[in-house]
Amino acid sequence: MREQSLNEQPSYVQVFLTFARNSLVRDMTFRANFVIQCISSISWTAMNVGLYVLIFSHTQQIGPGTGWAKHEFFVFLGTTMLVNSLVQTFFMPNAEEFSELIRTGGLDFALLKPIDTQFLISLQRVDWSSLSNLLAGVALIAYSLAHLMTRSVNPLPLSPWSLPLFLLYVLCGVAIMYSLMLSLAATSIWLGRNQTLYNFWFYITNFARYPMEIYGDWLSPLRILFTFIVPVLVVVNVPARVLAQPLYPERSLDWWLAVFALVATIGCLLASRYIFQRALRAYRSASS
Amino acid sequence: MGVIEVRGLAKSYRVYQKREGLLASLRGLFHREYREVRAVRGIDLTVDQGEFVAFLGPNGAGKTTTLKLLSGVISPSGGSATVLGHVPWKRENAYRRRFALVMGQKNQLWWDLPAQESFRLHQQIYRIEPEAFQRSLRELTELLGVGRLLAQPVRELSLGERMKMELTAALLHSPDVLFLDEPTIGLDVVAQHNIQQFLKFYQEKRQITILLTSHYMKDVAALCKRVVIIAQGAIKYDGSLSGILDRFSGHKVITLLFAEDQPVEDLERFGTLLEIQPPKARLRVPRGEVARILAAILSRHTIADVAVEDPPLEEVIAEMFSQVDVESPPGESAAAGLQHR
Repeated sequence: MREQSLNEQPSYVQVFLTFARNSLVRDMTFRANFVIQCISSISWTAMNVGLYVLIFSHTQQIGPGTGWAKHEFFVFLGTTMLVNSLVQTFFMPNAEEFSELIRTGGLDFALLKPIDTQFLISLQRVDWSSLSNLLAGVALIAYSLAHLMTRSVNPLPLSPWSLPLFLLYVLCGVAIMYSLMLSLAATSIWLGRNQTLYNFWFYITNFARYPMEIYGDWLSPLRILFTFIVPVLVVVNVPARVLAQPLYPERSLDWWLAVFALVATIGCLLASRYIFQRALRAYRSASS
Repeated sequence: MGVIEVRGLAKSYRVYQKREGLLASLRGLFHREYREVRAVRGIDLTVDQGEFVAFLGPNGAGKTTTLKLLSGVISPSGGSATVLGHVPWKRENAYRRRFALVMGQKNQLWWDLPAQESFRLHQQIYRIEPEAFQRSLRELTELLGVGRLLAQPVRELSLGERMKMELTAALLHSPDVLFLDEPTIGLDVVAQHNIQQFLKFYQEKRQITILLTSHYMKDVAALCKRVVIIAQGAIKYDGSLSGILDRFSGHKVITLLFAEDQPVEDLERFGTLLEIQPPKARLRVPRGEVARILAAILSRHTIADVAVEDPPLEEVIAEMFSQVDVESPPGESAAAGLQHR
């Protein structure tokens, strides 16, 4: 009996590897396109970094007493790049294609397959060129961290736990961004077509790109909205704080935030799955 | 208990009625008018293991909707159905492993990749054992004659070749039930014939159950013993192909070849004249009077050859569809239907 139920599920890891492989084969077919995409996303990132270098030539840190000076902030920026590039590599091409699948009725084929539909829809395509930003992010974080740890005044202490914790919270951040994206994309089943709602994702996630201190203290409406209702503020802030402003037990607020980030991740994943399933039930299929 | 059991299956949905003009469009932002489309209106159907059944009907008759209901892509608004003992729209993996749907107008293969890459993906999603996969792939590509095209990107294949690849993809996991939605649409005669031959052979060998919709009567005549005619979401006929003629056509066509130098004239009084191309003429006559009329013609004219045939199936069915339309105007039937179910 157990054997049978096991046999019913495909190996998701293997299927995902094949998706990744097929996407790579396709990307390589259009080599020039691939290279141009890599270059354009790297130069976009470089311009972004350049802008902040410019800003920090005018000021010492973002807001007095926040602890976000130049190199701390560059760790933050590198984390943003990391999260964004992971989302862009694995989920963005799929979310973009989702509304197209609904409009053309291509979703029919996804529904026929003996595999979890959400999995199939979310991971079919991998945009390998977006990974170039991941490397840029890692380089920026490594450079800034090295600077912070070796500076003569008040060098940054880094525990052996920092890195695994950082990776965990980066993954949490990616999961939250993905949930948000999936939920917005799924609404196109009800609306027939909704590029606007999908664009909403970009507007909202823009708020994730800055340290939460810039929105004011804990009681500011923006900060409450984007922490508790749509938790985009924990996406970059929590992993970046793990590295650049190590969470001290005496700063109880940060610990509380770290626990909240885990809860928020699970909550977002569950909510997006619920929305997706509800949307699928309303699917009408385009006529042939 | 058949492989497919359908009872009172119904599907209706609302469509937004768009009015003409900018002002009306603006008004549509606030106040929308919907029209209820009743695509399928209570279908009963039982299909047994190993049957090859054709769904015929005009565009918008509900054929594709029925196939989509049976493959679980959409949920019905009423009635019940089981296929292989499963309720399709529950989308259980145990069911999804055992059937396949092929749509002539949609493709599921990765456009930019060779078909074999998509096949490998299918192997993993359906968990096909490597030996079984290789065996099926070899068999299918040999039968369809597409073995040498496996490594070519799908976008570079012709329409016919692509359809053969779609069929291969659909059959790799050896489904017990196959739904075919216009598999030969847009194909040339040779490709159509190839696919017909393949389907016939494969179905006879495996004894799988197939439901086919097609606009090509040749597909139907070559493949299906049983025909189900759907019009306006309801079944109008369920039986053999030849039975359609008995039931819906009261006519036969007589072709006359006149002897040399004989005038081809004076035929109108025997029946409806279809065409005259001396020395040939074709006449349509009531079925019951074939013998009497033929005797009368032969006694008056010198005839070299004669043939009595059923009218072409396409014509009979086209005629039937147009009758259906006349019987119940769409607006009226939609309104009546609302109370009906």
